[in-house]
Amino acid sequence: MSIPIDWAGVLTGEPARWLAEGLAVTLATTIVAGLGATLVAVSLTALRLSPSAPILWLSRGIVSVFRNTPLLVQLLVWYFVGFGVLPAGARAWLVADHPWAVLPGNVSLLAPEFLAAAWGLSLFVGVFLSEEIQAGLNAIPRGQREAAASQGLGSWDSIAAVLLPQALRNARQPVVGQYLNLMKLTSIACSVGLAEITYQARVIESYNSHAFEAGTILYLAVGFVMERLLLAGGRS
Amino acid sequence: MSSSPMIEFRDVHKSFGDLEVIRGVSLTVHRGSVVVVCGPSGSGKSTLIRRVNRLETPSRGEVFVDGINSSLARGEELRLLRSGVGFVFQQFNLYPHLTARQNVTLALRKVLKQGKAEADEVAEEVLAQVGLADKAESLPGQLSGGQQQRVAIARALAAKPELLLFDEPTSALDPEMIGEVLAVIRDLAHRGITLVVVTHEMGFARTVADRILFLDRGIIEEDSPPETFFRGAASPRARQFLSRILSPLHTAES
Repeated sequence: MSIPIDWAGVLTGEPARWLAEGLAVTLATTIVAGLGATLVAVSLTALRLSPSAPILWLSRGIVSVFRNTPLLVQLLVWYFVGFGVLPAGARAWLVADHPWAVLPGNVSLLAPEFLAAAWGLSLFVGVFLSEEIQAGLNAIPRGQREAAASQGLGSWDSIAAVLLPQALRNARQPVVGQYLNLMKLTSIACSVGLAEITYQARVIESYNSHAFEAGTILYLAVGFVMERLLLAGGRS
Repeated sequence: MSSSPMIEFRDVHKSFGDLEVIRGVSLTVHRGSVVVVCGPSGSGKSTLIRRVNRLETPSRGEVFVDGINSSLARGEELRLLRSGVGFVFQQFNLYPHLTARQNVTLALRKVLKQGKAEADEVAEEVLAQVGLADKAESLPGQLSGGQQQRVAIARALAAKPELLLFDEPTSALDPEMIGEVLAVIRDLAHRGITLVVVTHEMGFARTVADRILFLDRGIIEEDSPPETFFRGAASPRARQFLSRILSPLHTAES
């Protein structure tokens, strides 16, 4: 007995368009949050290399909060609480029409759903990324720091030219894994109404047919391409 | 300041917690001299030379390098002091992600702010000096232990230091590679650079050193020219150390 998959119901007409839009939103969220997560990871890594104790506690505190609470809860908080605490002017500006901020595929970069998702995922994944980089740094033998110091390299130069390249090399596979996780975690943002692949699949589901199969294949395809790209990029 | 000694230790102590590994060392190393430091493991040899460029933080006492108090140097002054003192590690500590050439040029570019062409030229020169001109584009992982240590020596030479410190440079090498590294160091000794070498290679010490320091339990037990040291060290501990290390079963320089 085969599972009935109604491809025609998914790949034609309105459902096909919805799915394409969902894919565009998933890709846009992944790219924006990927950049955001990278920034967060770099900033946290910089904080954690600081010799100052209060700054170290601060960075550990941030890691602890974002690592130990569910992503779903974080997204709901950013969406419902975060949007609410913005000044009224900013809220009005955000909900107004901004045609320049709408990408092809009807991806609105300033929609509260998109902002909450991109921001929330940046922080959540950035924290995990910084942990991977930290693990990569910890795996570097002490002699590397000493060699850099013995040559008169300052702390910034030894981090940028000696330690980080090795840390990233040590942590390459887990770092790629975190970026792939980010892409897949965008599906959770459908809970705040982000119209990405999973959201659209549910819409189609209630409209005419099975769409989760199509959604799953889309994730798989995006993930596969992303993995190849990231691994090829990381090798260079 | 060329009249000041290359290194001067004044009553230097160094503790790790409750453990005092250097217990009052005063010592002057003159320009152009070759000093070998030996002694049993745990005697404080490595700590002593790591104190010179402040890889070990000071506990008590002062170390002057070319007239500059290394205990007080901070920031830029410390970086320049370190850049003028080449340091060669037991484990080479080459940067594994950089080629031999890049290992040599990194500090030239970052610390001495040399341009790429200028730094590459220096790299070519110092790699040729250690006999590895043809390995400039190799990564450390592609080189033998002896070659890696020679690249590390080239890296230490790049900034044209007047002082080179060697921390057991051949202890991590397979016996057949010790000779090539010692030959490079011997060559440097003839060029008038001040060398301080922590080593157990007594054949090397006997033929190259101007002066041998025997360190035991954080104190200089013996400080003499090689002929005196090997013929009749005054300290019983030094004689005991020598009799152990010079046994026919101990591999020395080939």
